[in-house]
Amino acid sequence: MSALRCEDVRWAGLWFGVTAALGVWDLLFLNRPAFKRVSIGFVNTFAIAFMTAVCTLVLGWAAAVGLHGLESKGRRVRYILITFAINLARSVPQIVGILFGYIAVASFRESGAWGAGVLMFPLLALCVAVFVFPEMTDLIRERIAHFSASDFYNAMRVCGVRERRIVNLHILWRNSRIHIFNKLISVFGMAVFLLCSVDFIISVGLSSDVNEVSLPVTLGGLLATIDSKQDILAIGYTVTHPQYFPRLFFQHLQGVTVAFLIVFTLLCVHRVSTGFARRHRL
Amino acid sequence: MSVIHHSISIADSGRTIVAIDDFSFVENEITFLFGESGIGKSLLCKALYGLLEESGLSVSVDGAAYDRHCADAWTRQVRRTSFFVFQEPSSHLNPLMRIGEQLAEGSLRGADNEREVLGRLWQDAAGGAAQRICEIYPKPYRPSGGEKQRILLAMAFKKLRLYHRDYAAGKPPTFYVFDEPTGSLDNAYRNLFLRLLFEAYAAGPFTALIITHDYSVISEMYRAHRSLLNRIHFKELVRANDGVVRLRDFSADEYLGWLRSQAPAVRGALAETEPVLTVEPSFGAFGRKLSIYGDAERRRPAPLAVRRGEIAYVKAPSGMGKTTLAKLVMGLYPADSLSMTLCGMRITHASSRSLWPREIWGKKAGMVFQHADEALDLEATVAETFTGLPLKQRFNDAAIVRLLGELFDAGEGERLLKRRVKYLSGGQKQRLNLLRSLVLDTELLILDEPLNALDFESIKRVLAMLEMKRRGGTALLMISHNEEIFDTIVDSAGVYYLGEENGNDQG
Repeated sequence: MSALRCEDVRWAGLWFGVTAALGVWDLLFLNRPAFKRVSIGFVNTFAIAFMTAVCTLVLGWAAAVGLHGLESKGRRVRYILITFAINLARSVPQIVGILFGYIAVASFRESGAWGAGVLMFPLLALCVAVFVFPEMTDLIRERIAHFSASDFYNAMRVCGVRERRIVNLHILWRNSRIHIFNKLISVFGMAVFLLCSVDFIISVGLSSDVNEVSLPVTLGGLLATIDSKQDILAIGYTVTHPQYFPRLFFQHLQGVTVAFLIVFTLLCVHRVSTGFARRHRL
Repeated sequence: MSVIHHSISIADSGRTIVAIDDFSFVENEITFLFGESGIGKSLLCKALYGLLEESGLSVSVDGAAYDRHCADAWTRQVRRTSFFVFQEPSSHLNPLMRIGEQLAEGSLRGADNEREVLGRLWQDAAGGAAQRICEIYPKPYRPSGGEKQRILLAMAFKKLRLYHRDYAAGKPPTFYVFDEPTGSLDNAYRNLFLRLLFEAYAAGPFTALIITHDYSVISEMYRAHRSLLNRIHFKELVRANDGVVRLRDFSADEYLGWLRSQAPAVRGALAETEPVLTVEPSFGAFGRKLSIYGDAERRRPAPLAVRRGEIAYVKAPSGMGKTTLAKLVMGLYPADSLSMTLCGMRITHASSRSLWPREIWGKKAGMVFQHADEALDLEATVAETFTGLPLKQRFNDAAIVRLLGELFDAGEGERLLKRRVKYLSGGQKQRLNLLRSLVLDTELLILDEPLNALDFESIKRVLAMLEMKRRGGTALLMISHNEEIFDTIVDSAGVYYLGEENGNDQG
């Protein structure tokens, strides 16, 4: 019960509870093909968003530790080149960058290369992570810089503890994992938002190279289907015809479910992240 | 002679931070309170003074709720008549008010001895230096730590003057607390503070509790204030079990007798042709030119040399650059100019920075940092503190417990093994900080304030362990404010003095 007093645990629990209840409702009232589509879209979106968080962590950690190593060894040229590459990724608007990434992924799939089907999820996650990881790198570098200026770091170095161990184990794992995990929660939310936005853009037909046939179905893609669009329009219709409102939950379930899942998930991720930061006094 | 007894308990979320059954001191007399850092000395005094904020804490004094203690007549009276000199002078001063304004804030405005007190604390009869300080706003770097501490002491002496003036007839209770009042002062200023305190005491007795780690005040009392010894008490706070502490009488003879029994380690006992470390007298860092001298008057520059089995002791006033010198030797700071030989390697300010991690750190030389709190990974457990060190043999839990046994009580090592460092007291952290470097098999060991935060028992154990290390052939380079102890155990030929190269330091 004491865990429920924490804002982050409460919101995470709320998300699970409401999503499960919605699943049961859809199972009862949504037609089978639509239910299957929503379920697949839901699982795909969250699987890719989760993989994005993992890729972001790996890229951010590697870049930050690599830059720290190059800086302390005085290798200026390599340091500048990597910093330039990171800043280049940072300078590209995320949605534009991911769209280009999707084109590359779609052409990879259409080339029929071996393993193209298996690799779709991690490749899509990597596309998103490439444009998100500079934030993770900044956080990790900030943590390393903070501890490097303290006696903690130097006291270990003069005792002969290896630099790699101090940075990876002592600074990042023991003293920064809470900060990093909090960032990953935000990255997860950001990935859901970006995936849904980009998939929506693709699915409404802005690109002829990339389409929902060549990419896995996500909640964003589902929202762009004609059925969902009609369901969303029905929500607007209830403003002038309130008596129509109960029918949203029976006749327009696909669009309402997809829209609700996106918005509710983003709200919950935001509250979980804020609550987590508050609980750990970050 | 009336003795005041209190029982105090302070807990956080059901965990006892500190609890004592009998926190007692004699009214209208002066008590020096010793004990290792983090044991709860300041917290108990703040609780008694009514200064603790209860948010998140569960505090009770004499079995009653804390708000009742704060509303008690004794507490209210004490807060009117007395003063609390906080341990960290920087956090006591308001950065938005000039120091002069703060010296005359509230009731202090009525005291007429400000010029006199400042003049004496700055040893400046004309009052020019103190007056300049009064004009500035306190900043982290200005005035210096020592000056900030003297400002707080000036406030306390002003309050004492008010007490003597306003309560000439009936004397209400007092409770002056000086929490580490000389932590940033050298011995000369510490002795000056004691002189002023006893002069004020001679004008009319008051109750004072002086929290300190500096056991050499005992010698100073016996040297300069013998007539007051019957009004002085030495007490030590010791740990009974987790969080629970008790107060015991600390015998002055215990310290003085031990000090008399110490003899300097004879230099040259394990003499070799080449010293482990030689630093040329003149060096520079951060735009400052400093020099090492072989005499206290700083007239005779001398290279700092320490051989196997020898101890060298570097003395200088606070802020002169003792730690900077240690960090230059260990390659942690870039030097403007430096020339030294370390384990046969010629090193200058132009030497490659990669030399230290490759050849020196943990292999040829190690260093103990001054503040254990900042030098240890607080999130690691005690056992994890020893992982990753370049040791010749694998260090398992049993070996760690054996090592801890050198500086911790029997059974304490096993109990602490899996405990996170952040939950240790200041004294325990300092002992762990020392052990992490002492376990290394290096030819040179630099120790920056190794006796910081330790109680007397721990001081004795640490010195015994250092002696063992020295006998084993390690060269030790000491930096410490604890002059009395190191002047006793270090041969005078191994004492070096640090100063500005032009000899203009104001030490």
